[in-house]
Order: sequence, then structure tokens, then C-alpha cells
Amino acid sequence: MIQHLVDGILVGSFLSLGAIGLTMAMHILRFANFSHAELLSIGAYSALVFDKLFESLLPILAEKIGPLSMTGALAISIVLSMAITGLSAVLIDRFIFQRVRQKGEELSMVFASFGMALIIRNVIGLVFGLSAELYSQDIAFAMVVSRDPLLLVKPDQVFVLIAALVLMFILHLVLSRTTFGFSLRAVAENPSLAQVHGVNLKRMIAAVWIIGGGLGAVAGIFYGLSYQITPVMGRDLVLPIFAATIVGGIGSVYGAVLGGFIVGIAANLALVILPSGYSPSVPFLMILAVLLLRPHGLFGEART
Amino acid sequence: MKKTLVFAAAAAGMTALSTGVQAQDCTTKVGAVLPTSVDWGRPIAEVAQFAVDQVNDAGGAAGCSIEMVLRDTQVDPKVGVDAAKALVDLEGIKVLLGAVSSGVSMPILTSVTVPSGVMQMSCCSSSTAFTVLSEEGKTDGLWFRTFATTSVQSAMGAKVAADKGWKSVAILYKNDDWGQDMSRLIAADFAAAGIEVKANVAINDAQPSYRAEVTEALGSQPDALYLALYPTEGKSAVREWISLGGTQNMILANSLKSDEFRDAVGMQYLGNAFGTDTASPRVESADAFKAAYTAKFGSEPNGPGLANSYDATMIALLAMEAAGADASGADIAAAVSKVTDPNGTPVTADTAGFTTAKETLSGGGTVMYQGATGNVRFDANGDVSAPAVVWKFTDAGTDEVEYLSLTEVDAYIASLKK
Amino acid sequence: MIGVLSYLVFFTTVAAILSIAVLGLNLQWGNTGLFNGGVVASFGAGAYGTLILGGPPQEGQLGGFELFYPLALFGGLLFAGGLAWMVGKLTLRLRHDYLAIATFGVAVAFENVMRNATNVTGGAQGIRGFERPMMETLGSGLTYNLAFLISVLVVLALVYVFLERLTVSPFGRLLRAIREDETAARSLGKAPARIRLLAFVTGSVIIGLAGALYGTFYAFVSPQDVLPILTFQIWAMLIVGGAGNNKGAIAGAFLIWGAWTFSGWALSRFAPIEVQLYTGSIQFVLIGMVIVGMLLWRPQGLFPERLVVSQPGGGTREKTQAEGLT
Repeated sequence: MIQHLVDGILVGSFLSLGAIGLTMAMHILRFANFSHAELLSIGAYSALVFDKLFESLLPILAEKIGPLSMTGALAISIVLSMAITGLSAVLIDRFIFQRVRQKGEELSMVFASFGMALIIRNVIGLVFGLSAELYSQDIAFAMVVSRDPLLLVKPDQVFVLIAALVLMFILHLVLSRTTFGFSLRAVAENPSLAQVHGVNLKRMIAAVWIIGGGLGAVAGIFYGLSYQITPVMGRDLVLPIFAATIVGGIGSVYGAVLGGFIVGIAANLALVILPSGYSPSVPFLMILAVLLLRPHGLFGEART
Repeated sequence: MKKTLVFAAAAAGMTALSTGVQAQDCTTKVGAVLPTSVDWGRPIAEVAQFAVDQVNDAGGAAGCSIEMVLRDTQVDPKVGVDAAKALVDLEGIKVLLGAVSSGVSMPILTSVTVPSGVMQMSCCSSSTAFTVLSEEGKTDGLWFRTFATTSVQSAMGAKVAADKGWKSVAILYKNDDWGQDMSRLIAADFAAAGIEVKANVAINDAQPSYRAEVTEALGSQPDALYLALYPTEGKSAVREWISLGGTQNMILANSLKSDEFRDAVGMQYLGNAFGTDTASPRVESADAFKAAYTAKFGSEPNGPGLANSYDATMIALLAMEAAGADASGADIAAAVSKVTDPNGTPVTADTAGFTTAKETLSGGGTVMYQGATGNVRFDANGDVSAPAVVWKFTDAGTDEVEYLSLTEVDAYIASLKK
Repeated sequence: MIGVLSYLVFFTTVAAILSIAVLGLNLQWGNTGLFNGGVVASFGAGAYGTLILGGPPQEGQLGGFELFYPLALFGGLLFAGGLAWMVGKLTLRLRHDYLAIATFGVAVAFENVMRNATNVTGGAQGIRGFERPMMETLGSGLTYNLAFLISVLVVLALVYVFLERLTVSPFGRLLRAIREDETAARSLGKAPARIRLLAFVTGSVIIGLAGALYGTFYAFVSPQDVLPILTFQIWAMLIVGGAGNNKGAIAGAFLIWGAWTFSGWALSRFAPIEVQLYTGSIQFVLIGMVIVGMLLWRPQGLFPERLVVSQPGGGTREKTQAEGLT
């Protein structure tokens, strides 16, 4: 029981990171982006490429840091991968979503994102092959935190959780303390009014994609560090991330953080009562529960 | 699902080739609907083509050389059924090889092959629903599969645990038709062998993490872990299991007999992992085939369904030979018993074997095909039984630990049923 | 050439069944502007419902009531409608992305429940249907398939006529009014949430009807039939054909399904076996590009929505949208 709870928090950390970007984009651009989870794949795979590159160029970077499976090479790769993924997100928006937005209605973008997800996923599969990849072949052993009740935690997981929390805190500072943060919120509230007040809408949209892509990349890499990376990881993660967004309330960054942890914990705890075969249904059950109890999520506001 | 391909003398096949059997003027098409766009599906198709090539080296079947027309199913029933229908109607095939998933094979059987009177031979569809359908007489005797492993494997798994003295197990199974069957059968067999099943946990495809499932199984602290998984989710689940300090006593279904799984988990953790599989009979030429396969494909025949696919193709072509030119699907299906006759002349699974079979059949005799999965013998429902092995991973591939003949397997299964 | 005929009959049957599903989606998306991301859930509900009610009893399974076929079919449609009503009730009063996500979720959960509820649905092995209706009189060969095709075409025609009449009826006007400007519709005393729910459920029942025919035709359904890819295929048919236009929806179904099977044939014929592992991925990339390309260059589809006589003004629909864009 306690093990499920702790595992849930750890799973929640990368769901939260993924959900932050999704909720921001959904809030400002007003469409459910089914290709958001593919940004996690882009991030994970570009980090894989850089990781291998640095390890071969500077073998010293291949050393593991302390008890983690993290290497120096991977640490640098994370930063580069964040940039690349953020940039990809901006480019996808420029070349696809923005044009669809101009041509059609908001909902056309939902379907365009469906199509983009399919394209990205399969292009990754064509380039990197269909089988799973690992950052490190070695198995990192868990530490026994307590014997009764049995509680095991992997050092990597602790690192992932702390790193995720630090990133979220930085984002919080940016959103609450800077002019940029205020403008962003203004755009989300009322795009036309914000523009009247001199906010550059285009730049704000790009910023949202960069933040969303960057955090998505970290989520994807952390996911790969904890499990494995596959071309279809976006498909597997899209529903839990959506669930986190809805639980938190669309548009709320803090809601997304909390939503990620709630969905992660729920998915783990669900196995205590449900047979494990039903675990893919858990995110949907969460969505259903929220819609019944609190239709706009924990922190969302009513808006049509 | 996966077994070592142990075919007979490839050397003999080469001889047959060099003696220059003349290619035939006419061509007979056989159809194949296999998931070539899936990572584990393509080798299954390649090995079927390999069998067809060998038969053509022996001068083809039923007086004509054979062309295999291959279509991808994308593991989508609609696509598979459409492909099968196109093969039957537009290419005029009488024999259809495939599909892999039961969910694709079944609608093909009910809506294409049975209505059209075409023989369907699947390498890998494991669902027990086919047996039920046959018992009801709804397959018209047109359905066969070379997939023997579910009941044999579960019995062997129980035997390994009993022999090692493991008193309790946790089961992780793939949540598909094969895995659900495996889980049910192995749990019953463990219980019959006096081994306690502490957890029986489904592993779903396409899940972000198997942590919760593994924790569930781990919490019961079993002596050993039974794995009915494919390599993709198998390696993820087992890495998680080991990192959480789970026991390294493992019993693996044949689907995990893969280099991908071994490399991802690491040999150092697999010292106490024992696999089960069906096997070919102890014939001298067995290892020679392994060599021929390795020479052709550059690796040992380790992969889901390879041996089954080879045998499915070979038996179908032998049956075409036995049924003669211009035979209907039903004729060919009826001829299957002539080439898998326990009292027939034994023939090996290669070009030379096919040549021998042709001579025997033309003389009015019957043939016992000794295939990659054993002395394949179908019962009235198109199901097969086979000998079994227990294997272990080595640095280069796998080693056999124990071999049980068909009689021993049957005896052990019977002892569990008591 | 009997082979070609036989195959064409078969192909047309499947394409016509898919057309019915596309028509159902068109009512939801094309006419009402509801994004249904879980088409397979309705499709599957129709198929499973019909087969469970009408199929033969099977050991260890609840189903197998062997109901009279039309009754079983009706039960399947009821199941599809009930599921849609539940999801619609919860999401339709919220902003539109909730519906998209909730329907996507319901489809995943539907597949998952079908896979696991072995006692009711046969689990991953799937559920085997009845002898196909009228099999005894017609046999199982080409005659049967021809008769089945004719029945499917009749159903397709009925659905088409029903939807066409609906489009020009006051109710159809209301749907478009809500799609274009909900506040205005509300100010005229209409209840958008109820109307949208009605349209959503009706569309889902039509999709369920397609699923029921599909299950009947194959006499089998398994979780593999209700994977998310089907949702995508049906959406692609609608987008390419032209949302809002029923003729376009049907044309899109035949075009996309034809292209899908033809490319499979062409790839297996001309691509060497070494690259066949990649053909699946290539096919998905291509279909994704067709969709995105269509939305970029011709968002109205090959057959754009026609102006309905009762609609005032002379502008095309794109114009209306451009004006309505904020």
C-alpha cells in the first residue's frame, strides 16, 4: 500500500511535467493537443542521440553520477534536448497548427494534432527502429527504505522527483514574479485585450510552446531513465497526461502539477482494488470522476 | 510461441540444388497474410518464404513452382480480412498461410476461407476458440495451426518449478488471447503440481510503466517468477522486478527466447532463469538446419513463431504435393493427414526431405514430416502436440537443459490432470 | 472474372459499412461541431452488443442469448446510444476539448474492458457471433455476400436519406445554428446542451449500427477490432470527403478505404520483403500527411458542405467561419 503510494508520486512527477505544457497550450490556443505527448518522445530520442554522441566524444562523461544511472553526458543532453524539443514545438505550431488555425476552426486543430501525432510517432519508428532503447543497460537497484511495511525506492526516482519539483518551482517564479509571467496570464485570459495592451501574441504563443516542449522533453527523458524509450511512448502517455490536465483544470499550471501526482497515485493505488488488467482504464475513470464531482477540475475556471 | 528452429540437413538441400532440379514451367500461388509491419512479424514472413524457396529448389509442389504472395495485416482485422479475400478472389489461391493474431485469423476463417473452401494454416494463433469452432464442425476441416505450445508449455513450466523445489510462484502474463490462456493453464498446472500461485498479474500492452504490476507480484514474495510475456514488455517488467530485489528464479515461456530480452536484462541476472519450449525430435540432422538458418539470416533462429511458421508452410506445401495438381482447398486439407502420418516414411524439414516426400507420395505412400517443431501431428480439430525442452540463456544463445519426448510430455500432462 | 466480382462485392460491403459510421460522425462533427475522439467505442458497442445478444451460448460466458437477429441488433444500438448518452451528459455542457478527451478516454477504457471482462465478452479471444442471418437459405458463397451487400446498401441509403432530411429540417438548421453561434441560439430560446446531446447520441447510434453490421458480417469481434486506429481511419474519411456533406462522407469512406487496401496491395507487390517491415510505418506517415495536408490546403474536404436553401445570405461556409473567427 505505502509502496504503491510512493511509486505513484514518482510516476506523477513526469506526468506533471508533461501536463504543464499541455495545459498551457490548451489554455492559450484552445485546443486539445493530441500530439503533445509526442514531444516527450522527441525529447527522449534527441537526448539519446546526444548522450551517445557525448559518450563517444568524451568518454569521461560516460561515468555515472553517484548512485544514479544518470551520466554527465546525459545531463548535458537534457539541456540540449529541451532546446531542440521546444524548437520543434514552435516549428510544428508555425508550419501546421497556426495555418490550420487560420484556415479552419479550433476543432480542426484537434484533428490536425491527431494527424501530427501519427506522423511524429511513425517517423521516429522509421529512424530509430521499433524496439525499445535504454539510456543505460545496467539495472539500477532499489534501496530498501523500510522492511515492514516493505518500501523500496530507486535513487533515480528520488533524483527525478527532486529535479521535477525544482523545475516546477522555477516555472512558478517565472510565472508569478516576471513581467513575462503577467503577460502570459493576460494572453490566456483575453488575447485581444492583452494585444491592445501591447503584448506580442505571437511571441507569447512561441514562449508557451518552448516551455511546454522543454518540460515535455525533461518528462520524456525522466520517463526513459526510469523505464525505457520506445517510438510509441507518446501513445501510451497521452491519456494519463490528458487526465492530469483535466483533473487539475484546463489552464491551471498548479492544477496540472497536482493532477499529475493524483493520476500517478491513483493509477498505482487502483491495482490494490482492481485486477491489473484494468489499469489502462484508470485515467479515464479519473476523468469521469472529476467531471462528475468538479467539472472544471481542481483549479480550472468555467469557460466556454 | 517461439522455439528453436531445428531443421534437418541443409547440406542435403544444397546437394539437391546442385543436382539441378529443373524449375517448372507453371506457377502455383499460395497466399500469406502476416503482420510484416510489426517487428516480430517480419521474420515470421521471411521464414515462410525460406520454406517456399527450399520447396522450389526441390522442383516445386504438385508439378508447379510455388509463388508466395504475401500481404501485411497491420494486426488490423479489417485489413487482414480484406487482404485474405483479395488473395482468394484475385490471386486464386487454395492455401492461405496466416494470420498470427487470433483476432485476425478468426474473421478470416469465418468470413473468407471457410465460405470459399480455402485451406487456412496458421503458424501462431493460439486461441482456444478455434478448437471450439472445429468441434462444432464449423471449420469444414479447413483449419490447421502449428502452434502447439500453450498446454505443453504450461505443463513444462510446472515441471521446472517442481524439479527445482520452488514452492511458490508469481505469474506475470501478457494480457492478450495467448497470455490469458497461458495464465489460466499455468495456474492450474502449478496448483496440480502442488506449487502455490501467490499472484497472477496481467501486463497490458502499451502502458507507461509496469511498476505497479511488478510491485503487486513482488509483495507476495514468491520463490520464483513465471513470465508469459513478449520481449518488449518482458524486458521492462523483468528489469523492474530485478531492480526491486525480486528473486532471480525465473521460468520463461518460449516467447522470451530472444536475444533482445537477454541483452536488455543482462546475463548476470539470468543464471537461474529456465525457459520452456516445444522441440523437434532427436534426429541427427537437427543442428545442421540451425546452421543453415544462421547462414541465411545471420543469427540463430530465435524469435516468436519462426519454427511454427516454417512448419506451417512446409506442411501446407507437402499437402499440396500430396493432393496433386488442380486440387481444391478441401482436397489439400484432406491430404494433410497423408503428410503427417505417424506411420509414414519420415522426411526431414528441408529440400532433400521434400524430394523424398515427393517420391514416397507418388508411389502411393504416406509421409511423417519431422518438422522444426517436432513430429507435427494434427488432431481432428487441427491442433498439434509436440515434444518439449527446458533451456537456459548462454552468452551466444540458448542451451538445452532437458529434453522430453512426446510420450514423456503426454505422461507428465496426464499426471497433472489426475 | 467471378473472382474480381466476388472481391468487389466484399470490398464494397466493408466500405459501405464504414460509410455508415462516417455518416454518423458527420452528424456529430460536420453538422453539430462535436469532436468525437472515441468513434470505436460506439462502433464496438454496436458490434459487441449485437453479438452478445444474438450469438450462441459459449462456455464460461454470460452472453449467447440467441435472440432474433433484429432484436439483437436493436440491443446493440441501444448499448451504443446508452454509452454515448453517459459521456455526452457529462461533457457536453463543458468546453469542447472535454468531449474530445473524454470520448478518447472512453474508447481506451472500452477496449480495455472488452479485453478483460472474459465472462461477458470472451476477453482477448473475442466473441464469436451467430451463424450469419439467412445463411441457410443463401449458403455461404457469393450469393450470400451479394445479398448482404444489398442489405448494407439499403441501410446506407436509409441512413443517408434520414440524415439528408434532417439537415434541411428545422432541427438541422438548429444544429448548424448552435455550431456557428451558440449564444445566439440560446438567446432564441433554444437549449443547446440538450440538442447537442441528442445529435451526439443519434450519431453514436448510427456508428453503432455500422459496428453491428461489421460484427454480423465477420460473425466475430475481438478487442483488436476496437483499437484507436479505427477512430483515426473514420475521421480521415470524413475530413477527406468533406465534413458537413453526406455525399462527401460516403465518397471519403470509399476513397480512404480503397487507398488503404490498394496501398497494402501495392506495397506487398512492389516493395521487397526487406523494407516491408517499414511499410506499416510509412503507410501511417502517409495517411497522417493526407489528413494534415487536407486541413491545410482544403479544410472543407473534397466535397465541401453545400449551402442549405433555408440558410440566409449568399456566403459560403468558409466565409462564415472567417467572419466568426476571433
